[in-house]
Amino acid sequence: MWETTVNGRVLHFHLAGINNQNFIMRDDETGSWWQQITGEAIQGPLKGQQLVSVIHDELTFGLWKKENPQGRVLKPDEAIERAGKYAPADWEARMLKVPVATATLDNTLEPRTLVVGIKVGDASRAYPFDAIVKQSPVLDDLGAQPIVIVLGDDKKSVRAFQRTVDGRKLEFFAKPNSVPLRLTDAETGSEWDFTGKAIAGPMNGKQLQKLYALNDYWFDWKTYNPNTTIYQLGNR
Amino acid sequence: MINKLARRRIAWLALIVIVLFAIAIVAAPVWIIQPFRAQTEKGIAVSYLMRRWSPYVTVGALIISFVLVGWIWSGSRRWFAKAALIIILLPLLAVTWFSRQNHFEWMFNPLVHTAYAKTNDANFVNDSDMVLVVTNNGESVAYPVRLMAYHHLTQDVVGGRAIVATY
Repeated sequence: MWETTVNGRVLHFHLAGINNQNFIMRDDETGSWWQQITGEAIQGPLKGQQLVSVIHDELTFGLWKKENPQGRVLKPDEAIERAGKYAPADWEARMLKVPVATATLDNTLEPRTLVVGIKVGDASRAYPFDAIVKQSPVLDDLGAQPIVIVLGDDKKSVRAFQRTVDGRKLEFFAKPNSVPLRLTDAETGSEWDFTGKAIAGPMNGKQLQKLYALNDYWFDWKTYNPNTTIYQLGNR
Repeated sequence: MINKLARRRIAWLALIVIVLFAIAIVAAPVWIIQPFRAQTEKGIAVSYLMRRWSPYVTVGALIISFVLVGWIWSGSRRWFAKAALIIILLPLLAVTWFSRQNHFEWMFNPLVHTAYAKTNDANFVNDSDMVLVVTNNGESVAYPVRLMAYHHLTQDVVGGRAIVATY
């Protein structure tokens, strides 16, 4: 997800190719080629420029709908839907069975292990999805940044936040038996929701800073983040 | 007379070289930038140059080739020579056209008329389906992963911020 304004002008992108299993996009305005996963111009007049990243969430539709009843949803193209070109509903399960053909394989985890990849500055770490399910909220420190990773009520949506508020590091734990989920911080006893907002207590109204987090397969995350570490269950 | 024959041979040779060159400059990037194949930085750089210039190179090749064909044609009385001239021009016309196409968008058709549904009207998504979400200035937009896995990208403006959603 990228901002499209570069040097004061909005660029318009098209799919233009593929580079080691990650796509290249081309802007109509200058014809430059951009790498999707890094947002960097790799060829053309704008070579070397970097798109500004837009932090996004990867959520189930049901969870997002509750948070945003007034939102809007991208519609399928009817002709493409009729032609059956969109992925079938069970495509995620099917993908798990597709063999992996990447040269730089690191077998610390099974290649198609689902991980949440998080980046803070130059530091990157893969959090196996199973570990998050078992341990949510996951408290960790990544590149000197204290962070918290939270699993949604749907057991599929994940969000990651900085857990420093006004220079104060917070330790979160899940409030037992609360639906929708609530976190409590040990320092002030404030209550926080899944969007990272304090909704009760001394911190009421404060918002945790969201972090770049990507749902990915282990092999893919490792290919584009060669220096990544892996979170071990029970680090703390 | 011998002089004329030699010049005609050179014209034929030039024609064939020009056509082969035009085919190569259009076909090479298609070969290099294949899915499920490893690409190198140099391969990408060369492909970019060829994609960048092939629309002009093919038109130049076409103009020169038409002149050569016209010249050979006017001095030729054999029907099979004329037929060969036409057959030689066909692949050149084909690559001139192809150099202006984006064949990646043949594989994954772009969303041309982007449309959105209100949250509660979106009956084409199930509650358990994953969506990519961008929120800005109080506006929140969901891009179903099932659609994004096909289109790969779509432009939008969310809360006044121009973005490209990618997957």
